[in-house]
Amino acid sequence: MAAVTAEGPRGGRLVLSATSLIGPATVVVALGVIGPLLILFRYSLNDFDPRMLMIDALTPKNYIEFFTDPYFLAVFFVTVRVALMTTVICLILGFPLAYVLARTQTRFKNLLLIAVVVPLFVGNAVRAAGWMTLFGSRGFLSMTLMDLGITTEPTEIMFTETAVIIGIIAVNLPYMVLTLQSVLEGINRNLEEAAFSLGAAPLTMVRRVLWPMALPGIAAGGILTFILAMNAYATPVLLGGPEFRMMAPVIYSQFQLNNWPSAAAVAFVLMGTTLLLTIAASVATRQRFRD
Amino acid sequence: MARLELDRLSKRYGDFHAARDVSLDVAEGEFLVLLGPSGCGKTTTLRMIAGFVEPTAGTVKIGGRDVTTLPPWKRNTGLVFQNYALFPHLTVGQNVAFGLEMRKVAKAEADAKVLDALKLVQLDHLIDRLPRQLSGGQQQRVALARALAFRPDVLLLDEPLSNLDAKLRHDVRVEIRSLQQRLGITTVMVTHDQEEALTMADRLVVMRDGAVRQIGSQKDLYERPADHFVADFVGRSSFLSGTMAGDAEMKTAGGLTVRCAKSLSGPAVMALRPERVYVGREPISGQDNTFPGEVEFVSYLGSLIDIHVRLSPQDRVIAQVPNHDSAALPAVGDTVHVGWAATPAVFPADSDMRA
Repeated sequence: MAAVTAEGPRGGRLVLSATSLIGPATVVVALGVIGPLLILFRYSLNDFDPRMLMIDALTPKNYIEFFTDPYFLAVFFVTVRVALMTTVICLILGFPLAYVLARTQTRFKNLLLIAVVVPLFVGNAVRAAGWMTLFGSRGFLSMTLMDLGITTEPTEIMFTETAVIIGIIAVNLPYMVLTLQSVLEGINRNLEEAAFSLGAAPLTMVRRVLWPMALPGIAAGGILTFILAMNAYATPVLLGGPEFRMMAPVIYSQFQLNNWPSAAAVAFVLMGTTLLLTIAASVATRQRFRD
Repeated sequence: MARLELDRLSKRYGDFHAARDVSLDVAEGEFLVLLGPSGCGKTTTLRMIAGFVEPTAGTVKIGGRDVTTLPPWKRNTGLVFQNYALFPHLTVGQNVAFGLEMRKVAKAEADAKVLDALKLVQLDHLIDRLPRQLSGGQQQRVALARALAFRPDVLLLDEPLSNLDAKLRHDVRVEIRSLQQRLGITTVMVTHDQEEALTMADRLVVMRDGAVRQIGSQKDLYERPADHFVADFVGRSSFLSGTMAGDAEMKTAGGLTVRCAKSLSGPAVMALRPERVYVGREPISGQDNTFPGEVEFVSYLGSLIDIHVRLSPQDRVIAQVPNHDSAALPAVGDTVHVGWAATPAVFPADSDMRA
């Protein structure tokens, strides 16, 4: 806005048009996001009684409960662990794929890009149903392993953390790949060749040239997938089963118990953690890039 | 420092021959320039030497060792790119140290070599800067220092001057050339700029359509061009086309009989260097050929004047004369006489060249 208003004699009209352009979206965001957030934050400071439900108060009780109750703490650590695991695995799987997409000379590049995005066309629930047919003890994977004689016992992947991690990776990988691909594409191929001609073998080249140069993109892709994983709802519910708890489903179950204050507090812990780790990641990568 | 030998090196992409049977022998310490228009195969050849393009056939030997199948990182060639390709996230010093680091040179020794390399290009005071803080000319010199720091067997330069402005380009040419001579490093440079090629090279290779047309010194190429293309590409020429009419005589398209110093038969093209064509008010005495003509165009270049003279509806020659007395210059429409010595620069007409 400041840059727009500094436009000189016609500045006044420009400000007006800028306002009219960003105005509607701002109103929607303010009413639809900030408003409910404020209300929810107020709720999180309220007290709760199973018989009288929400009681007006100003107490940190719900937050203290979250960080002292073993149940909530377990949920918290599982969530962060799953989010970190999926992010790291997405990065490991996504980087080579993004590199190939960034460097390919084929005419079918757009088709390849669409192929990366296609999984996102399938809804979360439908996708999870698909994974279920694969992961169950009598599912495709388990039966195939037994038929091939690789295992003798049924393999149970369904309703495990592994199933949830695989499921979330499947959702998040396209985001990671697309982010990395656009960053890698911006790195001139000559830089790779320069490294090769100076004596760097491919892996050394990646470590010394591509990786540090792509670091801002790696951070962006990592943050994106991390946020998505932290807040995953359908995948942990459908693939994790009733015993497996991540934060987003827990918030919902607290609502179902009519415990709005607790649900609101968990929601804010989730948001705060995501925000904190995101900021930490971007600060860390920025400093490393400056070295 | 090593001898570089290319033996019938070829690269084919489907039906397209990017390079065909390129054979070169570059002596130790020699500065060889590959010259040609874009798409002539000079860059492909350079990239095959560096190891980025795998040849379809032929061999590359550096210092007697066959490196044809070695990847670039095992070849010990120093490459300077057209856009310099400095690592933007590393300082000047780290950029120059990169090759030494890859060769596991001990820190203290590497530091000394980095400083030496930067002193060679007079940029040792900028060792802690990032590439983006340097001017184009400085970046170019850092790229050169980086390619030299680890003492490569062969230095490869891919249009290294084309991103510099004209004034700087002249200085850098001389700088690179004297540096190369001081270090005695075998060097191959690719360029499409013939002036650059002529000022820097020990020997030049003129390429077209993937093939070598002529290899030789500046004088060889200028005085004894091998074909129509070389005569046209190196230096300036005006051309007369016609048919050989007997021993060392050509009948031009406009019916003139021109004497030359070579025997051929069939359709032919004669190349005339503008400064070897004399212009006068009277028939030119002492020259093998002299014809009257009409001045069609005069181009005033300052110290030199180009005079385009039409000898017949089909024949035109360009004469370049020193600007001794601008008042005495012929004007457009004047009738003058032009003359020149019988030249050996007569070639069979080249089907893919316009006359």
